[in-house]
Amino acid sequence: MRFRTAAPALLVFLLLPGACARKPAPAAAKTPEAVKTPAAPPPVRYEVRLGKVTFTHYCQTCHGESGAGDGFNAFNLDPHPRDLSDPEFQKKKSDAEIADAIQRGGAGVGLSALMPPWGHTLSTRQIDELVLYLRTLPALRKPAS
Amino acid sequence: MPLRRLFAVSSVLFLLVLAISPAKNALRSYRSLQRQYRKLAASRAHSLKAAQGYAARPVAIQQIWLRDFDNRVDRCTTCHLGVADPLMAGAPRPFDLHPGTPHTPGGFDRFGCTACHGGQGLATTQIDAHGSSADAGPPMTPPVFIEAGCGRCHLSESVAGAPVLSRGRALIARAGCYACHAVRGQDEFRSEAPPLATLPLKTGGEWLKRWLKDPKSIDPNATMPNFHLTDQAIDELSHFLFAAQVPKDLAGRIEAAGAEPPGSPANGKKLVSESRCITCHTVEGKGKGSAPELSKIASTSSRGWLLAFLREPQAFNPRTRMPRYHFTETESRDVVAFLEDEFRDFDAPKGILEPLRVNQSLAENGRKLFRLYGCFSCHDPAGSGSEKFGPELDGIGDKRAQSLDFGRRTDLARTLPAWLAAKLESPRSFADGLKMPSYGFSADDSRAVITAVLALGAQSVPDRYRYAPPQKPALLPGGPVGSLIQSYRCLSCHLIGDRGTDVSTAALTYEGSKVKRDWLVDYLVLSYTIRPILEERMPVLKMPREDAMQLADALLNFYVDPSIPDDPFAGRPASDADSAEGQRLYVGLGCRGCHIVGSSGGYYGPPLTEAGRRLKPGWTYAWLKGPQRWRADVRCPDYGLSDTDALRLTAYLETLVPAASPAKSEKAARGVK
Repeated sequence: MRFRTAAPALLVFLLLPGACARKPAPAAAKTPEAVKTPAAPPPVRYEVRLGKVTFTHYCQTCHGESGAGDGFNAFNLDPHPRDLSDPEFQKKKSDAEIADAIQRGGAGVGLSALMPPWGHTLSTRQIDELVLYLRTLPALRKPAS
Repeated sequence: MPLRRLFAVSSVLFLLVLAISPAKNALRSYRSLQRQYRKLAASRAHSLKAAQGYAARPVAIQQIWLRDFDNRVDRCTTCHLGVADPLMAGAPRPFDLHPGTPHTPGGFDRFGCTACHGGQGLATTQIDAHGSSADAGPPMTPPVFIEAGCGRCHLSESVAGAPVLSRGRALIARAGCYACHAVRGQDEFRSEAPPLATLPLKTGGEWLKRWLKDPKSIDPNATMPNFHLTDQAIDELSHFLFAAQVPKDLAGRIEAAGAEPPGSPANGKKLVSESRCITCHTVEGKGKGSAPELSKIASTSSRGWLLAFLREPQAFNPRTRMPRYHFTETESRDVVAFLEDEFRDFDAPKGILEPLRVNQSLAENGRKLFRLYGCFSCHDPAGSGSEKFGPELDGIGDKRAQSLDFGRRTDLARTLPAWLAAKLESPRSFADGLKMPSYGFSADDSRAVITAVLALGAQSVPDRYRYAPPQKPALLPGGPVGSLIQSYRCLSCHLIGDRGTDVSTAALTYEGSKVKRDWLVDYLVLSYTIRPILEERMPVLKMPREDAMQLADALLNFYVDPSIPDDPFAGRPASDADSAEGQRLYVGLGCRGCHIVGSSGGYYGPPLTEAGRRLKPGWTYAWLKGPQRWRADVRCPDYGLSDTDALRLTAYLETLVPAASPAKSEKAARGVK
């Protein structure tokens, strides 16, 4: 007898939270998702995007759009700028080493003075972003033709 | 018995109802998330103490309360627990560290979350906070448009660190959106569209009809959008435009010029190439494209109009950016002869420039259409009154999707960005009778424009959050010098303080402290390219020497910076040893990577072969001590030079004067191009 009373009560208890939970908004699910919104580019980390802006502004003329060391000013420079997209080079250098070379320039790390020091021009944050962006270069590299 | 049973059931039910509220709270998803976070953070902690600290964190709602930012309360950190914790870099959502930006991780206390991301800060469930529930307020800004958040506080057109927003704002200004749509702070905006008064003597009925059909198909640089007019509307508008009274003075000039004998195309060709028209115009797509494409110009405009316009552009359009070239009568005839010979549309029908015979009743209908489509907003802003033609855009960034009229567009996602994208792509597709024209933005441009539009909030942010870069003084002289600056349109390419345009990259704000007078006069008379890397080059304006001297004197007296010393050596002239030391520095620092001296060096900065003739030593010194002070985005690195080293380098650059006569050295410099 007691069980007969308790069983429906338990059932009600179990169902109640479900009945009280808010209905999920169907609007988002129903509409065809973003039919005409412009196709979004693949997400890129914000720091990397900022790094790219810095690269394009300060580095590209010599190091080239893809970092391959083929910027249009590269041919006036002897030695030529480093191919930054070279996976071998990237493996060899730690983030700190690359940041250091940007900061103190070629002369500061015992290489060519044609790479100027950027430590007084770029903030450490900008340089860190730049390093993050440089790390994405090997993946963007076009297959050798 | 039945009564007792009923009593038992109702008491149980009563207890259950009482239990709902605590049960709901206990089951809130943030609680389990916070427990997960405790475990995750403790497992990542570097020390036992830190791990215990994490494990002991109470499960509770977290919030950031911004008292001086409209009393905003952001509870996002209730779930996004690791946003400011470097330990959580790379952790899964929602526990991960926020990416580094100019305001994070240092600025959470000042800016909170919703100031940039939008959404509902007070909510404590994901669906309400992110705004994906129908009865919540405006949703979060999708990550693609995140720079819209920057634009709420940063009001200048160009915002450092927000390239998409900056591009969007520039696109909006160029497309002239502010001519029809009111936006805070853009009351002074005027479209660059030309006045239409001389149109009947400029072009023909056939050309005009083609233009009205689709301006961009005639000239890819056109800023005029496509109004999707019917053939009948085009006809009526053409009759209206051809019915305009051409001002007597201009009509006289055009007719007289049209009657002049033809010039020499060969000489014209030479003049066109040295005048650097493609700094602004394009020729078959080559060039910068801020002014009309020239390759079919002779099938666009009559000979008389071209000639009269070339001689005094500003009489035809007071707001044109085109400078007045001081060609002689014959030279301007030669230029137009060359344009007529080479720059015409060889596929165009013969009568493309035949004037239209005006039918008054069609013209009357055209007048109505001119008002109906808001053409006056751009072409005759004075005649439009103060009311803007289109709806105001302030606040559009805070609109909820439910309040937008999607009309026939049932195919669209019910979101503000999707609505805006469709408005830009095909504005007339929402309903009949809409008037907004289409601008043909690419997908990338459209994203940038939407970003800038989403930045237009309903309310301006509090003063202490608003940021506009400091104003630079921009005094312009009046009198004869003022009219010279006007007539040569220096501000079309140069900045003076905040006024003008930054095409040349050499602002004139401190020009008087920067260059030497003799060089400046010679340069104005016969300009050459200082930085070969730039596509935009100083045109040869054929400036008479008197004008050049007058301008140079004014620049030298007026545009100076008191912090730049006249004599950086302070009365103790540099010795030969100093300049030799300077030369050593020049080599040692790698300056030749970007600058040419003599026959070798890089192509990036200006050649320094005649630096000593061009630059004042005070400027050279001030520049070397911190180039970014004079131009924030300049690529010339700050080497952090000591005073002594900067003076030595200055002394060396002072010795760089051309050995040969000035005329020859100019040729040498021009050969560098």
